[in-house]
Amino acid sequence: MSDTFPLVIDGQTVQARQGETVLQAADRAGIQIPTFCNDPRLTPSGACRMCLVEVQGQRRLQPSCAWKAEPGQVVTTASERIEKHRAVLLSMYLADHSQDEAGQAADIATGNKLRAYTVDRDDLLPLAPVHSPRVGRADDNPYIAFDPDRCILCARCTRYCDEVEGVSAIQLVERGGHTTIGTAGMVGLLATSCELCGGCIATCPTGALFEKKADPAPDPDETIVRSTCNFCGVGCQVDLRVRDGRIAAVEAPPPGTTVNDGNLCVKGRFAYDFVHHDERLRSPLIRQADGSFRQATWPEALERVASGLKKIRDRDGGDALGFISSSRCTGEENYLMQKLARAAFGTNNCHQCAAT
Amino acid sequence: MERHGAQRHRVLALLKEAGGVSVASVQRIARETGVPEADVWGAGRFYELLSHPDVERRVCQGLTCQLFGAATLEGTKVSCLGQCDRAPVVLGRDLGVVHYGMPRGGVSPADPDLPMDLGGPDTADYAGLARARELGVAGVLDALAAAGLQGRGGAGFPAHLKWRSVSEQAVTERYVVCNADEGEPGTFKDREIMLRRPHRMLEGLAIAAETIGAAAIFIYIRGEFPEEKASLQRALAEADAHLGHLDWRFVDGHGAYICGEETALIESIEGRRGMPRLKPPYPTVQGLWGKPTLMNNVETLACIPDILVRGGERFAALGRTEPGTKLYCVSGHVGRPGVYELPLGVCLDEVVDAAGGYVGTPRAFSPGGASSGFLPMSARRVPLDFKGLPAHGSMLGSAGVVVLDDTVDMAQAALWQAVFFEDESCGQCAPCRLGTQLVRQSIGRYLGTGDPAHFAHLDEIAWEMDQGSICGLGMVAALPLQMARRHFPQDFGPRPPGATMTGGGPA
Repeated sequence: MSDTFPLVIDGQTVQARQGETVLQAADRAGIQIPTFCNDPRLTPSGACRMCLVEVQGQRRLQPSCAWKAEPGQVVTTASERIEKHRAVLLSMYLADHSQDEAGQAADIATGNKLRAYTVDRDDLLPLAPVHSPRVGRADDNPYIAFDPDRCILCARCTRYCDEVEGVSAIQLVERGGHTTIGTAGMVGLLATSCELCGGCIATCPTGALFEKKADPAPDPDETIVRSTCNFCGVGCQVDLRVRDGRIAAVEAPPPGTTVNDGNLCVKGRFAYDFVHHDERLRSPLIRQADGSFRQATWPEALERVASGLKKIRDRDGGDALGFISSSRCTGEENYLMQKLARAAFGTNNCHQCAAT
Repeated sequence: MERHGAQRHRVLALLKEAGGVSVASVQRIARETGVPEADVWGAGRFYELLSHPDVERRVCQGLTCQLFGAATLEGTKVSCLGQCDRAPVVLGRDLGVVHYGMPRGGVSPADPDLPMDLGGPDTADYAGLARARELGVAGVLDALAAAGLQGRGGAGFPAHLKWRSVSEQAVTERYVVCNADEGEPGTFKDREIMLRRPHRMLEGLAIAAETIGAAAIFIYIRGEFPEEKASLQRALAEADAHLGHLDWRFVDGHGAYICGEETALIESIEGRRGMPRLKPPYPTVQGLWGKPTLMNNVETLACIPDILVRGGERFAALGRTEPGTKLYCVSGHVGRPGVYELPLGVCLDEVVDAAGGYVGTPRAFSPGGASSGFLPMSARRVPLDFKGLPAHGSMLGSAGVVVLDDTVDMAQAALWQAVFFEDESCGQCAPCRLGTQLVRQSIGRYLGTGDPAHFAHLDEIAWEMDQGSICGLGMVAALPLQMARRHFPQDFGPRPPGATMTGGGPA
């Protein structure tokens, strides 16, 4: 049995895989369907209504993010009805959104899909601002900020926090126009189960969640440098957003493209200040007789360490030594460390600081 | 993420027990149930009775109560309380009625020929259940099909198709749920069934459970109906000999109209925010805890015993344009508001005739709750049934008929309905969450300024609410305004700022 089957999207025959949604099948065929609330890591919620399409035989428009592709299905993603739906829905979202002086959805460095979808449209309705009565929430955590007036309530952040992180620090609270993203007791994130992974920022499509210490203003000259996070041995890929030779923020590459699937931890995402820190060590230092440090070369420093270790071994035996490797080491480096301990110094006293 | 084995379904009941949502109650309940604190908080804050538990006076803002001066009453404004026959109504701290405009309304006179016979004695012989056992599953389904019984909750979906669908599912763990979360403004029929004929409903539920082989029966009852719940519990105890072998569970609603929507109701039983699910899958396939679930309205279930005892054909023949009798709730400007059992398909004049006739000069009516919009009196002889009313841009819905006389400003009436939908939108999808706000704001601005320009984009917004919303609430929420504008354009023209119009002219 073949594991793919054909369906027709916008007159084009598309091969879908078993279990795929219409959105996924269309995406692989190069047919773009706009969506806010879809994140491939999460159970589809169909809540943002942006991806509604016509499915033959269905009276109502259906959310392509949740609608399973079926053999022979005929789907339309572009029609007068769908265009009208998108134009009015986007107009409504815009009327409830922070706007810049030009009346466009406010831009932000991490991108605002509402702006991207609306900025070139000339069929939007000039609606009066809605001013939904959302409650605010003070939050003194150092990293994650939330602007309810940029939130479209797609609930990607709350679903991510639950389904991917297993943390559930945030949830939809209140009802109707009052609905917003909150915590139990509406306290700051530090007083919740939040691990400050910042995944909510990454999944937010409109920049309602953003990093406190990163400049929110977009910069066209910004470059992205792909690198590997060196906080531990997992090897998460990071995209460094670089401005003027300095790291402006750290993001995960898109879900599905690297080993970390769009995820990072609190250190990988936020602890990048050391890179440009004044006190960062850039060469080995050797302590002098008066207690002060002087700069040294690597060969000199390593020679100093080796001779010191050998001296202790020769005087007190290998078990007088202990070897601790950093949690930032890779598996290979940890292997070499224990090899050094056992083979060169004859002791089993070796440990890795992440192995509690 | 909830802990393995978490008891999420207990969350809302525990919050009620604890006196509502507070930091302390949420922390304790999260620990006790293994559900994350944010989820407990988010769920609790969804429900009016849990987020605002200590309210001395809840003043009903339903259409009928507004017609009879609710705006002049002191207290906290709340959505329709289902006491429209006593308008205007105020509930006290214990959710009992502490103020009403008139005593409880009338019902049809006792008549043993009527299936529901609200005025008659509440017999508890459970002959329908006995007959169901004789007929067997196929026989019961055939009787339902012959009766042509349509769901009385509002959608009018053929009951036998629902029952058959559940009984044909491969999954054998199944549930029966009674939707007793009556909340459509203008509707109070289920209330009367639960108070006057609780055995009818319980018998219908027992028949449903035995027919589909349900593991348990859930009765989800509106939180503002403590008296009705007590009536059911009393009847359940009385009929223990007939019903005791089944697993009965009462689940309280906590003040959220949207939980009358079947998938929101299921979410609520599961202990979550009452946000409707995407359909399909329908509850008959994947309902409560993902299992096939048969959900029927109180009135639908209460029809079942009579159908089995006296036959589906007889029941069907009682209707006029569609099968059976129907409970019409009548309130507003009529002589004797109440619940009247009439052949399905009678017209407004006949319904009002049963309810003591018109008071004043009628101008408009709402045939089936807020969701049905408004019709002009030119529709007074249109059959009030499930299939015919959609042709008039309306629907029978819950058959909550509200009559408005010629003193009513239809823009004001549209505002009352718009406030209801705005307050009761779950907030999940933007067409409804934002659309209900835009609708209410446009009417408010129009009434404040007298400038019809505030309705400039309402046609498009109403279209999008209908097309884009996840559930029926958003789809119909703009109807009252749109139908009032269509049928009573004289109430929506330029007017002096802040002026009230009546009967198409200045007050």
